[in-house]
Amino acid sequence: MASLHWSLVEVAARLLDRDEREAVLGDLVESCESPWRSLCGVLGVVCRREVAHWKSWQPWLAAFGVAFPSSLLLMGVSLSVSWSYLTVRCPELLEKSSLTLGSGTLVLLCKALLLIGWSWTGGFAVGSLSRRTLWASTLLCYLPCLFCLSRFRVESVSRYCLLLFLLPAIWGVHQGLRISRMKLSWAIALAITITVLMLPDWSRGAQHWWSPPRWTLNWILIWPAWYVVVRAWTSPRGTATSMNRSADF
Amino acid sequence: MLGEFEYLLITAAAGLGDEAYGAAIREEIEATTGRKCSIGALYTTIERLENKGLLKTWMGDATPQRGGRAKRMVRVTPKGVQAAKDFYDAVMRVSRGASWVANRAGNG
Repeated sequence: MASLHWSLVEVAARLLDRDEREAVLGDLVESCESPWRSLCGVLGVVCRREVAHWKSWQPWLAAFGVAFPSSLLLMGVSLSVSWSYLTVRCPELLEKSSLTLGSGTLVLLCKALLLIGWSWTGGFAVGSLSRRTLWASTLLCYLPCLFCLSRFRVESVSRYCLLLFLLPAIWGVHQGLRISRMKLSWAIALAITITVLMLPDWSRGAQHWWSPPRWTLNWILIWPAWYVVVRAWTSPRGTATSMNRSADF
Repeated sequence: MLGEFEYLLITAAAGLGDEAYGAAIREEIEATTGRKCSIGALYTTIERLENKGLLKTWMGDATPQRGGRAKRMVRVTPKGVQAAKDFYDAVMRVSRGASWVANRAGNG
């Protein structure tokens, strides 16, 4: 039974950094603490570490300002791209439905580029802001996805089309965790490209009296791109692409 | 200004000198104050003090007594010594004239 408890202690201690795990487990062994008290001790360290991460504003912004709203909107954009693709490939499909969407390869290309740009910059912002609280941002991104997947009822499009944004978003998160800050020139070029691609949407009004104009929703998706620019702008000269993870702690 | 527990930790670490590490500091605090010291409070405070530049820590050697696991050694920096001294002076100043201090002086 004691060995089972110690196994639990060691599993819980895996949530700590390697050095801290060594020190904490060693201290518990040296103090001859009971397995139960050791488990409480380790969990106490883990909880305090997690609370400490949430004392700054960045994890909150990443989780509730980017991950959650962006995942909802990007599922809509993913669906829109899928429909545009169908319009280009099989125009007769749309004639059967009541949906009216812009057609043509150019529109499809613009939408696809916007989807990739929004997803990547959103992922980059989440990665660079979240750091050790990435699990919460990931959860807040996947929960709406699971909800929408379970409720998706369109026969002509696969439900997995909703998740087209995930691949570039995951790539963005990976890059955000790895380099934290982009090179300024690249960040500006990316943000301007995305903004220019959004221009056609700015002239469009609301589809219904109760819904906001489309461009207001797009602003939720565009701000991570400009956040990446601000972050690159404020980084010390010469360290734009070489900042390591510890720089933000 | 240090907090009470931060002061206790720095003072215990300074007293232990080269033998200051997590378990020893914890034992020292518990022995002198008679209060339980959680390992979570200890390590989060050590990290906070290190971030403030009041402590320096590094990983020490592993010992069989600890199941072959390394110690996190602690050393108080000059800035930490000054912070502890400031805290102690403030406590001494604010305690002047307090009934328990006066009684103690009278008893002595």
